[in-house]
Amino acid sequence: MTTFANALASAAVVVTVGAVVVLWRHRLRSIVLALAVQGVALAVTAALLAGHEHDRVLFAVALLVLAVKAVVIPGLLVRVVAATPGARESDPLVNVPASLVVAGLLTLAAFIAARPIVALVGGPTGRLVPLGLATVLIGFFVMVARRRALSQVVGLLLVDNGIALVAFLVTSGVPVIVELGSSLDVLFGVVVLRVLLARLTAAGFSDLDQLRSLHD
Amino acid sequence: MSAVALLAGLGVLAALAAFAPRARRVQLVATILVAVEVVGAIVAIHVLVIDHPLAGHTTSLLPITGLHIDLTPLGALFTLTTAVVAFAATIHWVGYRRHAMSSVGASCAFALFVTSLLLVPAAGDIVTFLVLWEIMALTSLALVAHDHALRDEARQAAWWYGAMTQGGAALITLGLVVLGAHAKDPSFASIAASAHHLPGATRAAVFLALFIGFAAKAGLVPAHVWLPRAHAEAPAPASALLSGAMVNLGIYGIVLTRTLLGVGPTWWWLVAGFFGVISALYGSLYAATSTDLKRLLAYSTSDNMGLVVIGLAASGFFFAKHPAASSLALIASLVLVTAHALYKSTLFLGAGSVQYATHERNLDQLGGLARTMPVTSVAVVIGALSVAALPPLNGFSAEWLVVQSLVHGLAGADPVTTVATAVFVAALALTGGLTIVAFVKAVGIGFFGRARSEQAAHAREVPVSMRIGPGITATACVVFGVAPGLTLSAITRASATVAPNRSGMTATLAGFHLGALRGAVDPLALALGAVAATLVVAALRQSRGPAGAAKLRSFEPWGSGRVLTSARMQYTATSFAEPLQRVFDDVLAPQHDLDVSHAVESRYYIERVAYVSANDDVVERRLFRPVLALARWWGVRARGIANGSVHRYLAYGFVVLVLALVVVS
Repeated sequence: MTTFANALASAAVVVTVGAVVVLWRHRLRSIVLALAVQGVALAVTAALLAGHEHDRVLFAVALLVLAVKAVVIPGLLVRVVAATPGARESDPLVNVPASLVVAGLLTLAAFIAARPIVALVGGPTGRLVPLGLATVLIGFFVMVARRRALSQVVGLLLVDNGIALVAFLVTSGVPVIVELGSSLDVLFGVVVLRVLLARLTAAGFSDLDQLRSLHD
Repeated sequence: MSAVALLAGLGVLAALAAFAPRARRVQLVATILVAVEVVGAIVAIHVLVIDHPLAGHTTSLLPITGLHIDLTPLGALFTLTTAVVAFAATIHWVGYRRHAMSSVGASCAFALFVTSLLLVPAAGDIVTFLVLWEIMALTSLALVAHDHALRDEARQAAWWYGAMTQGGAALITLGLVVLGAHAKDPSFASIAASAHHLPGATRAAVFLALFIGFAAKAGLVPAHVWLPRAHAEAPAPASALLSGAMVNLGIYGIVLTRTLLGVGPTWWWLVAGFFGVISALYGSLYAATSTDLKRLLAYSTSDNMGLVVIGLAASGFFFAKHPAASSLALIASLVLVTAHALYKSTLFLGAGSVQYATHERNLDQLGGLARTMPVTSVAVVIGALSVAALPPLNGFSAEWLVVQSLVHGLAGADPVTTVATAVFVAALALTGGLTIVAFVKAVGIGFFGRARSEQAAHAREVPVSMRIGPGITATACVVFGVAPGLTLSAITRASATVAPNRSGMTATLAGFHLGALRGAVDPLALALGAVAATLVVAALRQSRGPAGAAKLRSFEPWGSGRVLTSARMQYTATSFAEPLQRVFDDVLAPQHDLDVSHAVESRYYIERVAYVSANDDVVERRLFRPVLALARWWGVRARGIANGSVHRYLAYGFVVLVLALVVVS
């Protein structure tokens, strides 16, 4: 029982730490790598829950998560990064030390805000719900504080991963049809954003605030 | 129930028939619509005759609550009125299609509009009512916007109408949802059963929300601003339905409010009556000074709805002290609603025929149509006499009843009610006078005298179907005017849905007898008297013999006895209304612009005089324009926080999310 709880806690912490790493690193390749690691940790969380509940369908969901969030989406993003080798998040709107402090505060806020859910769910899974919420908030903060268009996409995916983590922990695994639907939605969104990113890069935009010149 | 389903099914079929090829489209849709209207009329008459509601429920069309049909005798009266008006408008449309309204969109919207108008009074719960109400609002909006590509005014009208109808619908939804939350289910029957448990303040707030919402639909001042725009810009069959059927449903809504909430305190009805008086005076004043035929009719609609609301208000505040007068006032306002539907649709269809024949709505450019378009002119004259409340037409008996109820209610009333009633009667008197001015102008300038423009001179009578349409409603005006007793039992039953009838009123074929209230009128006798008097005059003229006839000189009608050498010597609509406009100068605040250009050689030679007189709506100018200007200023200022930066927008969302989490935890 404790092994399961420890393993689950480790996987969930990796998900949140992955989000913090995205805030910390400058190189876009590292950011995408952190996202991929986070996807693996999410799949591991689902697999652990599947093993614990003896639920084969949930195991299929874990495989799906692994395929989409650890392989396909990071793969798509890596191809964007490869188009501009050595690209960096050079001049974030909020610098890295300040961002890390904000991430800490957001995690604190997540723990405070999630208290009712923790009380409701209870047990080893319930205690981890604040980590999912913290991932959501940090992902949102990435979108606000980072200039690169690619960082925005990664921020959105962090939000999605955080929501997925909360969903796994609260419901002990979501039905496969729901997970399939949301994964496909995200995949579709990433494909669209990838095309958009390629077009933006081709047009000479990489900083989203340059788009302000389109404002009337 | 199955009959209502048949009605709805046929309505949808008519809307689908709009996709038929252009050559047969309007005929096909109109044929199916006639079936819809006949079914609607039969269902309504059935309910009125058996004096028992027609109820039913289905969950197959709408999830969770389903559709709930409950056609009470009150609703049936409105459905029946709508069916008659829609029948005339549909027939008129068949000819009118050569002028406008032949597209797929217009045909589809018209079919759905008619169907929803017939079904709204049959709604038995909040959800059904609001769904049908919205279908009615949106399809009518499409019809108002029919000429959006041709005229800027049509776009403006659509914006105003859309804003007003959606604002009204929002208030109605709010009021009904508050009521529904306190009842055990959303049906009107259980709301009516539980509404008296509500706290007084809530009931008052709900009453005001519903009253304002429905008053906006009925075109009461100051929410009337859409009316002259939308009625004038919509194609004729649509404007006949807007004025002859849709505004009625605003009145139905106010009556429904009373059914749901009970009569309530006196001040509710004093407020309602106040807006009724304002609408009646304002509408009739603008009708008297308008030169656009359809705007004139629209303002007159506002005026008539004001009179109806005065009747409803009187019924509300006489309820406690004087039940007989209260019942009489309710019946009177229902009689007036049905009468108005008939004569106003006649007038709008007639105005549409004039527009069809001359492409002109401006009275200053019309004239002499009585000779070239005799059938249309007769229908319009009947409608005008009826709206002016002259015996023996149906407007007369309706307004007579309203006045009787007010006068009789004075006995035993408290001081506030007495003063209010006296003001109401005075308002009715002034309104009556102004309405006569308006319609003497409409008929005298537009149809008599000589043509004031080429188009009017070359007008030809419209196709047969366009003569039949207004002919049907005009005939109904005469029949129900001469024999008002025909409709009274149905209307009394309809009023009993709201409150038991205590008026003690009886009707014979020929007229009304008010029983204990002491009063009687026999329009049939008046009509026979008028015919007899006409015969006597004719006989006298004959008896003067050939010698008398030789001295007879004929003048242009409406020529003031002068020999007209030019059409420009006649009164115009503007000059006819000018003295009145002068009297009410402070209220109307018309804008004049006189521009005199002199010849270059000498200032004593005037080269050109340009005179522009604009008589735009004073409520719109003084009340709505400042509000719109404020909204625009606010919108421009708000652009400062939206500077185009994606990060800033994301930050707004992020901050709100974090704050919400902090507040919740």
